[in-house]
Amino acid sequence: MPENPFPLSKPDLQKAYRIMRTIREFEERLHVEFAKGDIPGFVHLYAGEEACAAGIMLHLTDRDRIASTHRGHGHCIAKGVGVREMMAEIYGKATGACHGKGGSMHIADLGKGMMGANGILGAGAPLICGAGIAAKFRGDGGVGITFFGDGASNQGMVLESMNLAAIWNLPVIFVVENNGYAESTSVDYATAVDSYIDRASGFGLPGVSVDGTDFFGVYEAAGEIIRRAREGGGPSLLECKMIRFFGHFEGDAQTYKAKNENEDNRAHRDCLKSFAVRVTQAGVIGSEELEAIDREVGRLIDEAVASAKAAPLPTPRDLVTDVYVSY
Amino acid sequence: MAPTVGIIANPASARDIRRVVASATGLQIADRANIVLRVLAAVASCGIEEVLVMPETGGIRGHVVRGIERWRNQREKRYPHVTFLDMPVTGTVEDTKLAARLMHSAGVACIVVLGGDGTHRAVASECGRVPIAGISTGTNNAFPDHREPTITGLATGLAVMEHIPEHVAFCANKRLDVVVNGLPPEHALVDVALVTDAYVGARALWRTHTFRELYVTFADPQVIGMAGIAGLIEPVSRKEAGGLMMRLAPAANAKLVVRAPIAPGLIDLIGIDEWRRMPADTSFEPCLKEGSIALDGERELFFSRHDQVSIKLVENAFRIVDVAGVMQFAAHHGLLRSEQSHLAEATT
Amino acid sequence: MPRKISFKQAINEALDLEMSRDPTVILMGEDIVGGAGSPGEMDAWGGVLGVTKGLYAKYGNRLMDTPLSESAYIGAAIGAAACGMRPVAELMFLDFMGVCFDQILNQAAKFRYMFGGKAETPVVIRAMVGAGFRAAAQHSQMLTPIFTHVPGLKVVCPSNAYDAKGLLIQSIRDNDPVIFCEHKNLYGHEADVPEEPYTIPFGEAEVVRDGKDVTIVSYGLTVHRALDAAEKLNANNISAEVIDLRTLSPIDWDTVIESVESTGRLVVVDEANPRCSIATDVAAHVAQHAFGALKAAPQMVTAPHTPVPFSPVLEDLYIPTSDAIAAAASKLIGRAAAR
Repeated sequence: MPENPFPLSKPDLQKAYRIMRTIREFEERLHVEFAKGDIPGFVHLYAGEEACAAGIMLHLTDRDRIASTHRGHGHCIAKGVGVREMMAEIYGKATGACHGKGGSMHIADLGKGMMGANGILGAGAPLICGAGIAAKFRGDGGVGITFFGDGASNQGMVLESMNLAAIWNLPVIFVVENNGYAESTSVDYATAVDSYIDRASGFGLPGVSVDGTDFFGVYEAAGEIIRRAREGGGPSLLECKMIRFFGHFEGDAQTYKAKNENEDNRAHRDCLKSFAVRVTQAGVIGSEELEAIDREVGRLIDEAVASAKAAPLPTPRDLVTDVYVSY
Repeated sequence: MAPTVGIIANPASARDIRRVVASATGLQIADRANIVLRVLAAVASCGIEEVLVMPETGGIRGHVVRGIERWRNQREKRYPHVTFLDMPVTGTVEDTKLAARLMHSAGVACIVVLGGDGTHRAVASECGRVPIAGISTGTNNAFPDHREPTITGLATGLAVMEHIPEHVAFCANKRLDVVVNGLPPEHALVDVALVTDAYVGARALWRTHTFRELYVTFADPQVIGMAGIAGLIEPVSRKEAGGLMMRLAPAANAKLVVRAPIAPGLIDLIGIDEWRRMPADTSFEPCLKEGSIALDGERELFFSRHDQVSIKLVENAFRIVDVAGVMQFAAHHGLLRSEQSHLAEATT
Repeated sequence: MPRKISFKQAINEALDLEMSRDPTVILMGEDIVGGAGSPGEMDAWGGVLGVTKGLYAKYGNRLMDTPLSESAYIGAAIGAAACGMRPVAELMFLDFMGVCFDQILNQAAKFRYMFGGKAETPVVIRAMVGAGFRAAAQHSQMLTPIFTHVPGLKVVCPSNAYDAKGLLIQSIRDNDPVIFCEHKNLYGHEADVPEEPYTIPFGEAEVVRDGKDVTIVSYGLTVHRALDAAEKLNANNISAEVIDLRTLSPIDWDTVIESVESTGRLVVVDEANPRCSIATDVAAHVAQHAFGALKAAPQMVTAPHTPVPFSPVLEDLYIPTSDAIAAAASKLIGRAAAR
């Protein structure tokens, strides 16, 4: 039996693969279902970016908080939000994670430390500073992680939050998911200082840049950064360079991308494929084991879609509930 | 016609985990661009008229172009004509390698490199006999000399304009070649380290208990990183024949322990079991049966007991500009000095 | 035992009592302590008008001076609330809502609803409102209507020291986001205030003066103007009932409707600008629900549709005066205004 050369145990490697596969299949399936016209509103798919969510979230527990973006399904799944509840929410059903009141862009599960996908870009940054403050007062070693994209990194409240986190030494991490595009605008255009690491050091935080399509690279870097935060070393910034397979939202014609860009990415920069190759080559997990996980995940997604479609819609009474705790 | 010079400035060096596990900093993009402008001005002052520059999407290009525009608008002839290579930009080390290949084909007389050890390695693997002038903008920077970039630029200009004899202007550098399973060799300019972590991950080396073997082309107590560890045991200069090879162990178990700076601000104990000089042109097989191979301080390859690995030191593998030698020669021979004739008399 | 203290002291007391009772109450804001990082003393200010002075000595790092980053620290207060703390964040002037409104509008107000009832955001945002301080256009607005409009927020605006203390304690204990408006011109106003903690429920207006001829509804500073107007009307044998709304969201419609059903005449006084204000809100609601009782159309006495002017003579024309209120009431009764 070959030794496991990786910094994760075999069960954790399987968990990592399962998380990434679940995100991938969830998003691919949504792409198909959305095209049928059954899903209301907007969905923003995370396919291609799985290694970032998995590589970071594997270091977290329920006492750690994350704030996500409009492209939040990956973060939700990696943080442990139930797939069935998520699917039902996206379909606007009463059994959804938010009882159908939030939709794709607002899935949350505060019990699991998931402070919500957010339709306002960059809005998670101040909220996670708040989570960091709460963790400090409690002294529970918890951390907060806010995800935002290359575009949202230009939002004023993100910059303010970096300064605030630095002066108060908050246990928070700013993760820039740099997939090169803010909707249809390239990062080359929108960001004057093309390095987020320069920005971070401008605010007094150390910044680290990793290949976001490499699970192990993300995992190792995130591990050090999170440990530092837990031990009172303060905030940092992690830039994950990644690619998104789909458009900004479903329905995006993606004419801003280069010809064959999506095909090239799927062929050469698929984080799931490279993870599978690595672990099977090292002889730690067999390809049949991975395929078994693929099948289980496939069934899980099928079930989730079927149950979401069959689930009841919210009632008119639900319109006016949960505005306040009490009024 | 004056020779052409190439410049490759890496925007992505000094961005890795050593910013968190050590006290490494990163040179800001604007500062890297300023270095490029310093070099451009310096080579222009030597008579260089054409410079080829590697394009990148890290932001250096924009600053450089604005810098040149600004002085052009003030009608100052401070800079040479700059052409950005026509090549796709992937934002990976492949860009550096491609740029070096293209500059080599274009017949540049020298390539000025802004980057860390990894960037210099990538250029050296593709530039053939074109000499390199190194400027350190990476993390450990064992390879490129620490020096004011304007002087590097000046020395480069003087060297390529052939004002300096070749044996003074350029010197030969050693290289380590790593062959895995008979594939084309991977190169390292400073060090090859074998560590027990058999995954590339965040690449950098800082967990000293995982270090097992070290091969260096030079050993210098005045640098940090692997060559620094070796330098504290037995210095070997860049000009001497051969290098050094060492077997390492976790500090608790080793015969000898050295306290060494392995990254900026990070000083740790390294266990040394044995060391010896590494002769050139001899292939060595590592004792470690599985793990990863770090080239110039970054994990690049992993191997298992089924893989065949060999390491060899090669002399005179590539050339660099000997900046100190050039400037000393220039001073002694008055290369930058000239008589002012009637002008001087008129002002006295 | 009640004793006379100022509105400002009442706020300070409410904060002190709640901070001593509940360790999850933390304060944050610009200069709420003052002196942070400076060579001089800490607690140099205790708030720009000294409202939080003295609390630092008792509670230390539970008071956090913030940089000029409203989006960040108001958002942080909201985030901390969603994570189980009870932050009281000070937005120095409610006029500054412009630099942090997303966190209030799209985050705090909507968490509970968007997350299907699974979030609680017990944050209080205290802010100064109102004109008369000669602080000019960007520091003097009455922006209560904007926050009242937003489902998910509660809006409180006391008119006196007694209400201030009880409503602030209530706000801190409340589990929803509360915008607590403190009229800067009332800080010196004194009233009898008990030493012990007490609460005043939201959605309960107070009839501060009984009357039978006309109902005058207001909140904040203009409650006092309305009371002055009622005195003037009394000299003209017009008996005015004055209602202090106290909270704008939730609002006590029952008390207002009951009064109008008795008097048949309504004057709403609002320091906010006239379009889409509390005045229009109350007038419309009364027109819809008590039309039959009305003997005349509701009258609204508000600030003009202008920014707040600087020059004192102009600013004094901006805020509804007791004369204007009395005139409006008299008009309803068809007699000349009291001189």
